[in-house]
Amino acid sequence: MARDTEVLVLGGGSTGCGIARDLAMRGLEVTLVERGTLTDGTTGRMHGLLHSGGRYAVSDQASATECIEENEILREIAGHCVEMTGGLFVQRPEDPDDYFREKLAGCEACGIPARVLSGAQAREIEPYLAADVKRAIEVPDGAVDPFRLCVANAIDAESHGARIETRAEVIDLLRDGDDIYGVEVRHGSGPGTRTSEATGTTEEITAEYVVNATGAWAGRIGAMADLEIEVRPSKGVMTIMNVRQVDTVINRCRPKGDADIVVPHETTAILGTTDEEVSDPDDYPEEQWEVDQMIDTLSELVPILAEARTIRSFWGVRPLYEPPGTGTTDPTDITRDFFLLDHADRDGVSGMSSIVGGKFTTYRAMAEEISDHVCEALGVSTSCTTADEPLPGSENLAVLERGMDDFGLRSPIARRSTQRLGSRSREVLETDEPNPVVCECEGVTRAEIQDAVSQTGADLNAVRIRTRASMGNCQGGFCCGPMANELHPTSDEETVHDALDELFQERWKGQRHALWGEQLSQAMLTYALHATTMNRDRDPANATAEIDFGAFDDGRAESNRIDPAGRTP
Amino acid sequence: MAIEDDVLVIGGGLAGATAALAAADQGGRVRLVSAKQSTLRHASGLIDVLGYTPSGEGPLSDPFAAIPDLPRGHPYERVGPDAVHEALDFFDAIAGDAYAGAGTESNALVMTFGGTVKPTARYPTATAAGLASDDRDALLVGFETLPDFDAPLSAAHLESAGVPFAVRGVTVRFPGLARDDAKLTRYAHLLDRDERVSAAGGSGAREALAATVEPHVAGASRVGFPAVLGDERADEVRADLADRLGAEVFEVPMGPPSLPGVRLEELLYDALSDAGVRVTTGVPVVDYEPDAEGAGRIDRVVVDRNGTDVPHRADQYVLATGGLVGKGVRSDRERVFEPIFDCHVPHPADRYDWFVDDAFGDQPYAKFGLPVDRDLRPLDATGDPEFANLRAAGAIVGGYDFAAEKSGAGVSLATGSVAGRGAGAEVNDR
Amino acid sequence: MSDAERPTEGGTGDDFEPIQVFPEAEEMDLRPGADNCYKCSTCDTNCPVAEVDDEFPGPKFQGPEQWRLKRQDDHDVDDSVMKCSNCMRCDSACPSDVPLSQMHNTARGEYVDERMDTFSREYVRNRILANYRRLAPLGSMFPRTTNFVMGLSATQWLGEKLLGITSEREFPSFATETFREWWDKRGGAAASRKRAQEARERRGGDATSKLRAEDPRARRDQDSSASRGGTSDRTEPKRIAYFHGCYSNYNTPEVAKSLVRVYEHFGYEIVVPDQHCSGTPMFANGMIDDARRSAETNVRELAAALEDGADIVASCSSCSMSLRQEYPELFDLAGIEDVAANTWDAVEYLRVHEDLEAELEGSTVEDDLSFAYHAPCHARNQGLDGQTIELLSRIDGVEAHDVGDSCSGISGTYGWKAENYDTSMKIGAEMFEHMADANADTGLTECPTCSMQMEHGTGYEITHTLEVLDAALVGTETEGRTQ
Repeated sequence: MARDTEVLVLGGGSTGCGIARDLAMRGLEVTLVERGTLTDGTTGRMHGLLHSGGRYAVSDQASATECIEENEILREIAGHCVEMTGGLFVQRPEDPDDYFREKLAGCEACGIPARVLSGAQAREIEPYLAADVKRAIEVPDGAVDPFRLCVANAIDAESHGARIETRAEVIDLLRDGDDIYGVEVRHGSGPGTRTSEATGTTEEITAEYVVNATGAWAGRIGAMADLEIEVRPSKGVMTIMNVRQVDTVINRCRPKGDADIVVPHETTAILGTTDEEVSDPDDYPEEQWEVDQMIDTLSELVPILAEARTIRSFWGVRPLYEPPGTGTTDPTDITRDFFLLDHADRDGVSGMSSIVGGKFTTYRAMAEEISDHVCEALGVSTSCTTADEPLPGSENLAVLERGMDDFGLRSPIARRSTQRLGSRSREVLETDEPNPVVCECEGVTRAEIQDAVSQTGADLNAVRIRTRASMGNCQGGFCCGPMANELHPTSDEETVHDALDELFQERWKGQRHALWGEQLSQAMLTYALHATTMNRDRDPANATAEIDFGAFDDGRAESNRIDPAGRTP
Repeated sequence: MAIEDDVLVIGGGLAGATAALAAADQGGRVRLVSAKQSTLRHASGLIDVLGYTPSGEGPLSDPFAAIPDLPRGHPYERVGPDAVHEALDFFDAIAGDAYAGAGTESNALVMTFGGTVKPTARYPTATAAGLASDDRDALLVGFETLPDFDAPLSAAHLESAGVPFAVRGVTVRFPGLARDDAKLTRYAHLLDRDERVSAAGGSGAREALAATVEPHVAGASRVGFPAVLGDERADEVRADLADRLGAEVFEVPMGPPSLPGVRLEELLYDALSDAGVRVTTGVPVVDYEPDAEGAGRIDRVVVDRNGTDVPHRADQYVLATGGLVGKGVRSDRERVFEPIFDCHVPHPADRYDWFVDDAFGDQPYAKFGLPVDRDLRPLDATGDPEFANLRAAGAIVGGYDFAAEKSGAGVSLATGSVAGRGAGAEVNDR
Repeated sequence: MSDAERPTEGGTGDDFEPIQVFPEAEEMDLRPGADNCYKCSTCDTNCPVAEVDDEFPGPKFQGPEQWRLKRQDDHDVDDSVMKCSNCMRCDSACPSDVPLSQMHNTARGEYVDERMDTFSREYVRNRILANYRRLAPLGSMFPRTTNFVMGLSATQWLGEKLLGITSEREFPSFATETFREWWDKRGGAAASRKRAQEARERRGGDATSKLRAEDPRARRDQDSSASRGGTSDRTEPKRIAYFHGCYSNYNTPEVAKSLVRVYEHFGYEIVVPDQHCSGTPMFANGMIDDARRSAETNVRELAAALEDGADIVASCSSCSMSLRQEYPELFDLAGIEDVAANTWDAVEYLRVHEDLEAELEGSTVEDDLSFAYHAPCHARNQGLDGQTIELLSRIDGVEAHDVGDSCSGISGTYGWKAENYDTSMKIGAEMFEHMADANADTGLTECPTCSMQMEHGTGYEITHTLEVLDAALVGTETEGRTQ
């Protein structure tokens, strides 16, 4: 029986996109479906740490070793998504010396380059560290932009013939006896681009093999075929600071605990995190104490954080998994390792495997392993090349760095844009048209917005994750309107209107967790601009009742009306 | 000794300036101290009085009809409907020819730069031809280098809002700019001074702009631009463009930075100067000293002049330092507060109760501010005046959501004139 | 970044410079200052340069945006930072307390250190302009010759071609006797003490100076051992340390002399500490190291004067601005906060510490005069923009018109650069027009470079507020004008 595609990947996170790229590069026909936009799940909700492995060097040395290997690969193949910030494991006077020694020994055992710094040396690197920090271990941690990395994988998969279908939610698994042969999806509402089907319609997509890469949602997919997949979703909060107080990843060097890491991420610093099991990955409480804990605990390491401005907080759910019967109660003790569940072996249901657990830094290795597995199942013998082939945007980065071009932009804007676009900079930024800055906080110009729009259509949240526009301190207050304007006239007025509302509400959602001090003033200014000046809250275009324009002042009853041209109206 | 005056107004926005002018009207020696530029530069320059009721009914064609029904504690309820009328009369006298709308009790509907329409009571002359409640056909013009305003999109949105006229939009390049990031004031200055622009063979900026737009007019009787049409000589710029285009020319009010706001500020400061009000700008009031004898009075305030404390004393004080945006009301993770006198600001203890989940919902934070008595004296937690000689005016007064109601300027005028008049009268009674 | 243990290069952590915490300006991290910015662009609407020059992206970009986009090791400050004239209007514009001028100064320092070729014409020229004080003594040694040579068209042509100093402007002429020469000849501090004593005795019956005890700061400080110059006792010595700056010394000593006479009139004893340039032109040219060297001398000398019970006053609004605001923002020197907190504008000091208005009420000057007054940006930044008009309105026969809040456009050394000349004159156009409209006898301002621009653009002769106060309060009675 003819199938629509050879392999169907469920989930547009880093794992799914990595698998799609891997298999497409091996010459397989691949379709990926994602219910929202790319990175909507866990990938877009992490702190952006590119692990050196140092964090696992005591508790989980296998993971640590894998991390440092993948860390080195990603620096090569995804240079424009990675910033090699370096990382410090910082010991405060009250933190245990034993653990510090174990950490150092663990790094050595796992091949993680590490050296010990005095407190003064650590503060020389990071002046905002607390004056009393005792010492630190320096490791090659980095920062990675998960959006850009995930999107680069998807783009490369597409360029190798894959079909990437966002806003396509799996509503059923197609099963013929003990064989899964595809899924039924519903093409989503909202203004996101859809490559084929119209909004609200359903589609059956059949495949030789299905890969369930939906992470924390894997259990739900499994349930559609009565398969039990024991994912243990665990939530963690991340709080985003307005500026980078540190340029190095700062880890607290103590056994374990919440609120122990600060990751410099693009223009911001991200504070993380907590670890608390939740029952539903789509619905869990987001609470004030979690945000307060980030600020209060991490300001022990970096005191300026106590007074600094946060612009939003967000929560992510880890797709933790442990084999049945392990019975770990504290989620922090659940392994970060990943598991490939072949449902043929495990449950006697053929045609599908699920991948659960794991972490972002090792997404490529996970993708390689599951792709090998799929190829074996399909009798394909080509091997993996993802560790050697640079992702789009990362080719010839060294050349780019040497010939850093300003493209007529102010130099900090050119630098940030070039960092985002990598080797695609020239193609995107060189234009004869006026190229004003659309998002001033992040230095994003019209050309970059237009480039993202050409990839995503009228989905401003997708434009946002590609460009960082609206992710700065005004949180879209000033730029979400201008971003929406860029959609017109390609998209019609109604579509633009919806896209604007969607982005505006999304930006508000995360900001609610930062509403005090400067950010509350910012929120009030945004509210005043959108409600008072633009009257967007009472937009008559949304109202059901028509306005009686004739009941209002038309300006012509005026006794004091001045006509500037001297004519009587 | 301190720098001494009869009335000291703290804050230089619409409310502060109005209060100072109203106090000066009573004859006393009045000083206005303003820390920084006011939020007038953020605002559209429109004088909204009341566009919607607190429950969202509207747009109201007659704002005054709705005022008597406002809830207790609303600033308009505090000062009373007559005071709102008087305040508008006071403003009309100050504004003279610069503003229109005084000829009727009705609100006008103005086109906004987001393509919606909104109700307002007074509007700058520059915007007078840009009413959406006027049925003449319109052309909107946007500039390629100003991404805030997309004229064709605004036109399309206006049509979907059902405006009673045909409206088109066109995007053109503003002649004579060397960079894409020129500031709004640069556009205005080019037009104000009619600078030669090389791009158009050495013609003046006005002529070059008109030549760029003219082919698109096609019979429209009015042409709207984003509000960049000159600053000092805005009337002249508009008239010149209108002559060249053969159509009336108007400005669509923009968000910050707002030239109509800047022009309103200039108008107010000229009036202050004419009224003999002493103006000290650029320095914040940071503290106060209570009167040693009479309890509950302010003896003097402390102005921080680049690190030096300079005492200022007056008989009466008006606090018009703004709301959350103007930073007359501040907050931290624990509380919302008024930073100079630590006046009582009612607010929920849990900061997660300061907002609701819909961005445009009924936002508690939008109403943060000081409760006041009918003389506009800030009240403490028990309902007694904080100080006998302190009044509050403008956005620092709580209990209303100016953004949802479209009542910001009206409240500033009404509370400003009542507070200023009260302070001035008390000095005279002394 | 107040980490006092921050090591110097070498990173051992043992040897650190105890006085100067920021060994290099570029190590200053001002990104947290961007936290206050809510992007309202009020700073941009107040920028006189952005209004006439579309190459300049305005203070919001130069300040909080550029800093926020920066990473610790980025060294690509945009070259437009050199287009900022350092008028600092953005500072007092920002409704949200972003340290804009500090960001500009620091970025400019970085730019000059990292990007500017120290052999370039521009660098040499800027260094010369910034270090006016080093050249002035030479010019002043042979003032007539210098004035003659600087006025020669050949010299001006060379200035423009070689250095990029505009030939459109006339160099300020040097006085034949500097203020300090006059001061020394007059008997220095000892003579001043005597005159002040006499004035206090003469004024003994007046109910003037009850202010000290009421000054909240004085009250707050009353426990501290270093009293700031006495109590309400009218005969108690009152002392000020005068920071005259370069220009009053070399070019317009009449202003300095007026200050001396006015203060002695109120019974103040004046000391004139050793001093260097305030640093304003150096900040504006990114010469932070030069500025720091000057600041070290000034802070040391002025702190010593404070110890001796003197408050500090300055007659130049840029000098007072520098000591009050830029010093503590940019340098971490012992005593710098104290110097900043106790430095005053000379007129403002009298307004707060004496009843200056009452003293002026009904006073007269020899001939009726009308003035076209321009408030310098740096006075505006200190909230001093209204005081001259307020005070002069008390003097009979004196009329003063405020010519509005526009910037004169010269901003110290900015308007001297050939590439900025046109921009500078465009900025000044509004002020020139308003001055012409005022139809006054004389121009009036407190800033020496503003006065150059006012004279250059209008032909008005320009005087200083202190000179008018001197004429009204002291007249010609006490001391010959020729002195």
